[in-house]
Amino acid sequence: MATLIAIDPFNRIEGDLRVEIEVEDNTVTFAKSSGIMFRGFERIMSGRSPMDALVITPRICGICSGSHGVAASKALALAQSAEMPENAYYMKNLILGIEVVMSHLSHFYLLFAPDLTSPRYKGLSVYEKVNHRFTAMKGSSVVMALNARQSALEIMGLVGGKWPNSLAIHPTGTTSTMNLSTLTRTIGILKEFQDFLEKRFLNCSLGEWLDIDSFDKLLKWQEKSGHNGSDIVLFLTMCLEAGFDRIGKGPNRYMSYGAYDLPDGSTWLPSGFFENRLHPLDQTLIKEHIGASYFRDAVEARHPLEGVTAPLVDKSGAYSWAKAPRYEGKTVEVGPLARMIIADDPLLTDMMQQMDSSVMTRMFARLREMCRLTKEMSLWLEKINPAEPFYASPSSRFSATGIGLTEAARGSLGHWMKISSNLIENYQVVTPSAWNMSPRDESGQPGPVEQALTGVHVADPKDPVEVNHIIRSFDPCMSCTVH
Amino acid sequence: MHNLLWLQGASCGGDTISFLNSEQPSALSSFEVLNINVLWHPFLSREQGDDVVTIFQKILAGETKLDLLILEGAIPHGPDNTGKFFMFHGRPFREWLAEFCKQAEMVIAVGTCAAFGGVVTGHENVNEMSGLQFLHNQKGGLLGPNFVSKKGLPVVNVPGCPSHPDWIVETITAVLKGWLHMEDLDDFHRPQVFFSKLAHHGCPRNEYYEFKASAVRYSQQGCLFEFLGCKGTLCESDCNERLWLGRTGSCTRGGFPCIACTSPLFPDKQRPYFSTRKIGDVPVTLPLDVPKAWFVGISGMSKLACPERLKKNAVSSKWIT
Repeated sequence: MATLIAIDPFNRIEGDLRVEIEVEDNTVTFAKSSGIMFRGFERIMSGRSPMDALVITPRICGICSGSHGVAASKALALAQSAEMPENAYYMKNLILGIEVVMSHLSHFYLLFAPDLTSPRYKGLSVYEKVNHRFTAMKGSSVVMALNARQSALEIMGLVGGKWPNSLAIHPTGTTSTMNLSTLTRTIGILKEFQDFLEKRFLNCSLGEWLDIDSFDKLLKWQEKSGHNGSDIVLFLTMCLEAGFDRIGKGPNRYMSYGAYDLPDGSTWLPSGFFENRLHPLDQTLIKEHIGASYFRDAVEARHPLEGVTAPLVDKSGAYSWAKAPRYEGKTVEVGPLARMIIADDPLLTDMMQQMDSSVMTRMFARLREMCRLTKEMSLWLEKINPAEPFYASPSSRFSATGIGLTEAARGSLGHWMKISSNLIENYQVVTPSAWNMSPRDESGQPGPVEQALTGVHVADPKDPVEVNHIIRSFDPCMSCTVH
Repeated sequence: MHNLLWLQGASCGGDTISFLNSEQPSALSSFEVLNINVLWHPFLSREQGDDVVTIFQKILAGETKLDLLILEGAIPHGPDNTGKFFMFHGRPFREWLAEFCKQAEMVIAVGTCAAFGGVVTGHENVNEMSGLQFLHNQKGGLLGPNFVSKKGLPVVNVPGCPSHPDWIVETITAVLKGWLHMEDLDDFHRPQVFFSKLAHHGCPRNEYYEFKASAVRYSQQGCLFEFLGCKGTLCESDCNERLWLGRTGSCTRGGFPCIACTSPLFPDKQRPYFSTRKIGDVPVTLPLDVPKAWFVGISGMSKLACPERLKKNAVSSKWIT
């Protein structure tokens, strides 16, 4: 007989989530992901000056305010035909980069790892060590990581003034500049963070870890004495012993808008849509569906430029304040795994071939990206020249349409704005977790997390830790999702 | 041991993120040194689902003493005053919250949303939000103007978008030690110790301000008040003395204008954010407490007295001398 289990609140994520699963013979047969709170940011935007987007939209999310700032500034830049000095590219990439690295770090230590301490895992070889290091709020590594985070965020103070909610990111550059002192100090702080990663997280140099280009080499590296004390080896061992490589298979379609713009017009992480192979991204193929969402509209799906946000709380059959974005009508996974696949990262591409998408590949993609970004940020810092400008004169005239696409920590983030008479007429935001945590659409097609949960074996339906791992491996941000 | 319950209403989680930026003590150490037992925190606690509801029920039944309730995020009343914009475990969040407030020895609203409604009340509050005991500068909110918690104080408001981690940790400290009394709060129930200063105080652009040597474009060194929208002379906070993120930055140090995010009237009354509204040559956002006629007179004179060094640097993005 099927048992219905509701986890409400499903917390230790960003924002408010309710999860319902039906379990029959210890197997999940049905799953529902509900965003349970509505704030109405899109309704706040209409009638405002376009530049207000820089103030209002970052406040959608406390953990990725900078990403919203980047998306809004790109939408405005398109509408203004704005150009930026070279320094501003690297400054913006530093703000986005440090935000993403800190988000990944917090996700692993504060949000994901506490589930590893479940008594369920008493039989595993690493149980005691995992408990010592990853117990919520108290584990030795949790405390160290939080201290490393707090120190590393000093970079954000130097580059962005304050955070969350820096206003340094503008369409034509950054309001902040760097001088000899701030640049030197930033380099020093980043080096300290790298030291934390090398000593506690990896127990080897960043270079050695980034050179690992296959799963086989990862296992050989794991065996090598000396790395065993590191958090990532502990996690790797746990993944394999507990079978995290076998749960949490997503839709196997991936998307990235590309991010970290460079002065030559390219992006450090490429854009694309991956289904069996890589396709060029076409944002016109995106639609937000509302079949199971608490919204009313004359049609079931619209491109965000034509999007409508009209709440309807008592709508029959609806169960989420999230809309359901689809690409060509299909569900898509976004986030670090999607980015690493589309960027053709050798380790993750190999792991995908060996074990498919899973809790383990998703987590390793995130941790891989954290390390890659840390290294890349030090290279961007070298490109900044304090003697050159950081900001160009903006135009006060806006054309009719602005589109800003970037990659936040959790995946593809898009802002679409329509402007008339120099005022915002319509503003639509499609966030990463809207893709991953989306409810069903009008055809009944479940969202990626709903799909990833279905079919999973849960050893103890009263304490479904497998469900916890799968959902948290997507790092949901429901504040963003519902906005 | 002091029992703490931390809740998030219509929230972005940004005040928790800011709290985690706390330095000495760090966020986690602050619990230890202040002898705080975290009953539940939505971002940090291991408990989820029914275990959380059990914790809640014990508090509401009086079995667990609630020494301190902290809320971040606004209170959703919509749609049509049903509270259904946020259903927490099947029940409007605001109903849970009102019951907890009755049980709490002390209540702190962290961030401008929990205090006054904040950013989500934009656009004439189309989304029907409020703070705990205020909506903008009007008393009322969820709890009504006369609410006091068991210890006899109204909701202590610690606004900011986000709130500064020091303001959060130090307010908790003062509350738990019994150091915070009615006379220590201002008209908007903010601890005066943080909110009687102006963001303008300690701004590195103060010399430019004195001589009205103004930046005309962002990224320049000059004062942001005359042309570029800075509200630092109106914003009640000690941001530029205290500084953010390891004492490394502030809004004006990052080159962008203060938008007075600690104000009960944030976000709509601070517009335009990026330019300065004027009548003639005189900004309408004159500093608090400064008589207008004097300000105009002094400004004219100081502009005439402005040293060449400042005139040059004000419109330059790098130090010239």
